[in-house]
Amino acid sequence: MYETIRFEEQENIARITLIRDRINMLMVRELTQVCDHLEDASECKVVVIEGHNGHFSHGIDFEEFRPDQPMDIHGFNKWEKICVRIERLPKAIVALIDGTCAGGGAQLMLVADAVIATNAARIHFNEVHLGFLPGMATFRLGKMVGLGRAKRLIMQCPVLTATEANELGIVGQVSDDLNAALDETIKAFGPIHTDAVTLARRLLNESFSTDFENAIGNFLAAQHRAIHQTAFLDTIKSHKDE
Amino acid sequence: MNSALPRILSVGTSNPPNRYSQQDILDLFRVANPAVRSMFGASHIKGRHLVLPEPDENGVPSEDQEELLIKHRTWSLRLAREAIGKALDPHKLKPEDIDYLCCITSTGLMLPGLTAMFIKHLGFRVDCQRTDIVGMGCNAGLNGLNPVSGWCTANPGQNALMICCEVNSALYIYDDTIGTGVVNSLFGDGCAAVLVRSEVQDDTLAPSILGFNSHIIPDAWGAMRYNWSTDHGKFSFYLDRDVPYVLGLHTETPVDGLLTKHGLKRRDIDHWIIHSGGKKVIDAIKYNIGITEHDVRHTVGVLRHFGNLGSGSFLFSYKRLIEEGLVKRGDRGVMMTMGPGSTIETALLSW
Repeated sequence: MYETIRFEEQENIARITLIRDRINMLMVRELTQVCDHLEDASECKVVVIEGHNGHFSHGIDFEEFRPDQPMDIHGFNKWEKICVRIERLPKAIVALIDGTCAGGGAQLMLVADAVIATNAARIHFNEVHLGFLPGMATFRLGKMVGLGRAKRLIMQCPVLTATEANELGIVGQVSDDLNAALDETIKAFGPIHTDAVTLARRLLNESFSTDFENAIGNFLAAQHRAIHQTAFLDTIKSHKDE
Repeated sequence: MNSALPRILSVGTSNPPNRYSQQDILDLFRVANPAVRSMFGASHIKGRHLVLPEPDENGVPSEDQEELLIKHRTWSLRLAREAIGKALDPHKLKPEDIDYLCCITSTGLMLPGLTAMFIKHLGFRVDCQRTDIVGMGCNAGLNGLNPVSGWCTANPGQNALMICCEVNSALYIYDDTIGTGVVNSLFGDGCAAVLVRSEVQDDTLAPSILGFNSHIIPDAWGAMRYNWSTDHGKFSFYLDRDVPYVLGLHTETPVDGLLTKHGLKRRDIDHWIIHSGGKKVIDAIKYNIGITEHDVRHTVGVLRHFGNLGSGSFLFSYKRLIEEGLVKRGDRGVMMTMGPGSTIETALLSW
C-alpha cells in the first residue's frame, strides 16, 4: 500500500514505521494519507512513529534536489504542513528513536508528545552545518529546552546521545527495550480522553507565543469544551456514586 | 465551475465618520462603575464607528426612543448609499441595474422597510423585487444570503444586491450597569452591500455559493434578546454571559453537516469567514472546531477595528480576505454567523 512507510493498527495503537532511510516527497504524501485515515476512520488512541534497521531517519533526501534547477521553498512548506498535521492529531503521539535521528528525522521527533530512545540513538540537528535550516525546529526546540540550549543544538550541531537528550528534556525515557518502554508510556498516558489530550496539547504548544490575556480566553474556551465531553461527565457521575 | 451557481461578485462597506476608542466612550458617558470601566479595558476592541450626539445639559449624550429610530433611518440611508456605490462601481453597475434587493437590519424597526426607502432615495427601479429581513440579529446576513442565492439560481444573469445595515448606536442605553456595559462596549455601526449573480464569466475570481446549513439551539432561546426597558422607554439588548461558549460548543454540528453534504472535511477548508461576535465566541469556535488564530485573523481584525457590526460583520471579514490577495482558484471557504435564537448559520464557498 505504501512504499516509504509501513502502517499497522492493532487495538488502540497505530504504528507508522519509516522504512525509507531518508525523507522524500513520496514519504510526505504517504504520511498525509496516513493522517487522513487517522483523522477520518481510525479509533486508535496512540500513534507510534519509529524507524527501521536500527535507525530512525537520516533526514531529507537530497536526491530530489537538482543543482541545475532553480530552488524553491514549496517542498519545505509541504514538510512543515505534514509535521504540524501529525502534531495536531487527536491521538497521543509517541516517537521511538534508535540509531541515527538526524535533520528532518529530528524535526519529526519534536512533534511527538513523548519520545523514547535507545542508548544507540544519536540525535542530530545537522542542517545549519549543511547550509540550510532545521525547519520549525527553530520554533519548537527553544520552547522545549530553552533558547540558549536550542542555539547550541541548532547552530553548533552537536550529536546528542539519548542520555544527553534526556537531560535536555527532548527524550522522556531511555531504554534499550523500546517495546517495554512504549507499554509503560502508553500506560502512563492513561485512558487518553481525545478532547482533553488534544486541547491540553494545543494550549501548551501555544503557551509561549500567546500573551496571558489571550491565553486565559483560550483556556476558558477549551475548558468549556472539555467539561461538556462524556469523559468529564463520567468523572462527575462516578464521584457522586462514591 | 458550474456557471449556474450564484457567485459573490463584490462587497462594499461603509461606516459613519466618527470613530471612538473605548476610553473615548467611557469619558463621553462619564462611566464611573469600575466593573464597567474594566470591561471596556479588557475588551479586544480598539475603536468603533458610532453615531453619538453631543452631551446634553446633564453632560452625557442622551436620546429618546424616537430619536434613536430616526437615527437608525437616516444613517441607514447614508451608510447604504456609500456601501452600494462601493459594491456596484467595480462592475460599472448602477442601482437601476439591480433586479432583486434584500435588506437586513435589526437595529431599528421601520414600516415601510429599508428596501422601500432605498428605492425611493437611491435610484433602484420600481419593479425591483425585494425582501426585508428584520430582527434576526447578527446571524441574519446568511439568513439573507440564502434566499438571495436561491433567487439568483432561479433568475440567471440578473443582479441581486443584499445590504446589511446596522446602526447599533441606535440601541444605546446608558445606566452604568454591567448589562448595558457589555452591549455598549461591543457593538459598532456599519453597513455592507454584497452583489450576487449567477451566470458570470468564468475568468473572474468570484466564489460560488455551494450551499447553506443552519443550526438553532432552542435551549438558548432567550440568551440574546431585546427587552423593553420601562425605566428608559427604550429597547434594550440583553446578552447572556454563557452564550458565547454555548454557541461554540454547537458549531461542530452545522459545520460538519454542511461539509459532509459536499463530501468535504474541515481540513479541506482554506478560509474561515466568521462573524466577529466578540472575543469569547471567537475563542470558543477556535477550540471547538480546531481552527487556528490564523484562520480567524480577519474575524479578530474586524472586531478590533470596528467592534461587532451585527449582520454585516462577516462581509467586512470577507472583504479583508479578498483584499489580502491570497485566495486562489480551487480554494474553499466557510462563512459562519452566530446570533439570537440562539443560532449558527453557515455557507460553503468555492473559488
